[in-house]
Amino acid sequence: MNVKKRIIILFMFGLTAGIIGGCGTETGAHKKDITVISREDGSGTRTAFVELFNMEEEVEGEKVDMTTVEAQITNSTAVVINTAAEDEYAIGYISLGALSDNVKALKIDEAEPTGENVKNGSYRIARPFQIAVKEGSDNKAAVDFIAFMLSEDGQKVVEESGYVGSDTTASYEKKEISGRIVIGGSSSVAPVIEKLAEAYKAVNTKVQIELQVTDSTTGMSETISGNYDIGMASRELKDAELSGGLEPQTIAMDGIAVIVNRENPRDGLSSEQVKGIYSGEILTWDEVEE
Amino acid sequence: MKYREEGAKWLFAIAACTSIAAVVLICVFLFANGIPAIKEIGILDFLTGKVWRPGNDKYGIFPMIIGSLCITGGAMVFGIPIGIFTAVFMARYCPKKIYGPLKRAVDLLAGIPSVVYGFFGLMVLVPWIRELGRSLGYGGSGSSILTASLLLGMMILPTIIGVTESALRAVPEQYYEGALAVGATRERSIFLVVLPAAKSGVITGVVLGIGRAIGETMAVIMVAGNQARMPNGIFKGIRTLTTNIVMEMGYATDLHREALIATAVVLFVLILLLNAVVALLKRRDER
Repeated sequence: MNVKKRIIILFMFGLTAGIIGGCGTETGAHKKDITVISREDGSGTRTAFVELFNMEEEVEGEKVDMTTVEAQITNSTAVVINTAAEDEYAIGYISLGALSDNVKALKIDEAEPTGENVKNGSYRIARPFQIAVKEGSDNKAAVDFIAFMLSEDGQKVVEESGYVGSDTTASYEKKEISGRIVIGGSSSVAPVIEKLAEAYKAVNTKVQIELQVTDSTTGMSETISGNYDIGMASRELKDAELSGGLEPQTIAMDGIAVIVNRENPRDGLSSEQVKGIYSGEILTWDEVEE
Repeated sequence: MKYREEGAKWLFAIAACTSIAAVVLICVFLFANGIPAIKEIGILDFLTGKVWRPGNDKYGIFPMIIGSLCITGGAMVFGIPIGIFTAVFMARYCPKKIYGPLKRAVDLLAGIPSVVYGFFGLMVLVPWIRELGRSLGYGGSGSSILTASLLLGMMILPTIIGVTESALRAVPEQYYEGALAVGATRERSIFLVVLPAAKSGVITGVVLGIGRAIGETMAVIMVAGNQARMPNGIFKGIRTLTTNIVMEMGYATDLHREALIATAVVLFVLILLLNAVVALLKRRDER
């Protein structure tokens, strides 16, 4: 072995040691770091989560999403569930409809995240799924479809899709109507509408329903301009949208469940604690009282 | 007969033009959409800004550039030595009985879709690295630079092995025999004579591998954590240029969308630079 080779090998060892040493300045302190999982910017679930936990703060006149930069970001609910199921220190949030058994949904401010509690208002972490039509719209098929959605039959479909419907007893009466409805907007609401449309088509075969999946804001603006007969939004309508002549109706509620690993000893958190974790003020589970 | 020949000529010419047209179209699309956004954001703010917060119109992609380089570098550390050694084994040491299955295994490795690699990483590598990180006291959730590097290192293996092996086989047998004849050991002959003679092919293989690593998206998105901030140790996550585009394209509108296309421009330029470096290295080699 010549000198050159020895130098190269020494250099490689040095480099490896340097890399590992460089990030190990606070060895030991990170053992119980909370793994915070968040959704990507612009996602409806993230927007709702941030609003519901008051995580927007004014900085230099602009509203800033205070979600910590250390949060892992994913654009898939499945990855959130998977990470929380695998990592005992993880915390994440998903739509209540997507909750599965391999993770634990936390109580927030003592309220259990169930459809029942969303309905009676004790579990506050919920957002409305809304549809909106323009005032004075004369699409009879659309009016009939909305009547179906809000009827007992329609709300049953909503509950079956895993969301929270209302306990209405209004029954839907079949009418002889034909026509075409263009529905567009939020990608979170679209799956429910799709199920509703299927059920509706089974009753009323002559109506054609076209579903365009975009986002809440586009859904509302296109409904105002008349391109959609019905718009979908996964949030409350803004004042500007209401003054544009939209009439909103809530077809379902969707709770947002805060999930952790099943091994996590905690059953619930206060909304302040969730906010603390997600804004990066609380870094380890030891700082969270059980 | 003459018409036939003419016809064939045109057919091939059209085929050649199609691929060139594809490259040109992509360039035009990227630059036409990306450059105005870069201008609006400001080229310095865009390339060296450390804050990515589309909700507040802050578009700095410096962390993502560093992220892409970090993960690619990590993939090279794992992939290049293993790849080249495997190629040497296959070209020089491998018994005939093992060669068939080994070659097929490597080819299969190349054929696995990247999302399957990603899933494997998420289910197997991430828990591993998480345990390792926590037991060493560095913390981290397992979705990290190290995990992504390991996974990408695996993914670039078939590219490096394939090209390096054929380059080694293309070296005239006399080189090897000549080296043995003057008294060099087998290892010396291979690493000091055959391998340098195949340098150009080896470099091509490595660069193709780097190209794959830097452009890989689906596998990385599942194991890298995707935090849009500066790297914070190899046990912590990072976001790359590619994952930045894929993750946010679904909901992006207006300037946000254009900023993502501009991210693609930066990626494109990086790959062009990489190709230029190869061309330069090769030319120097030929002289």
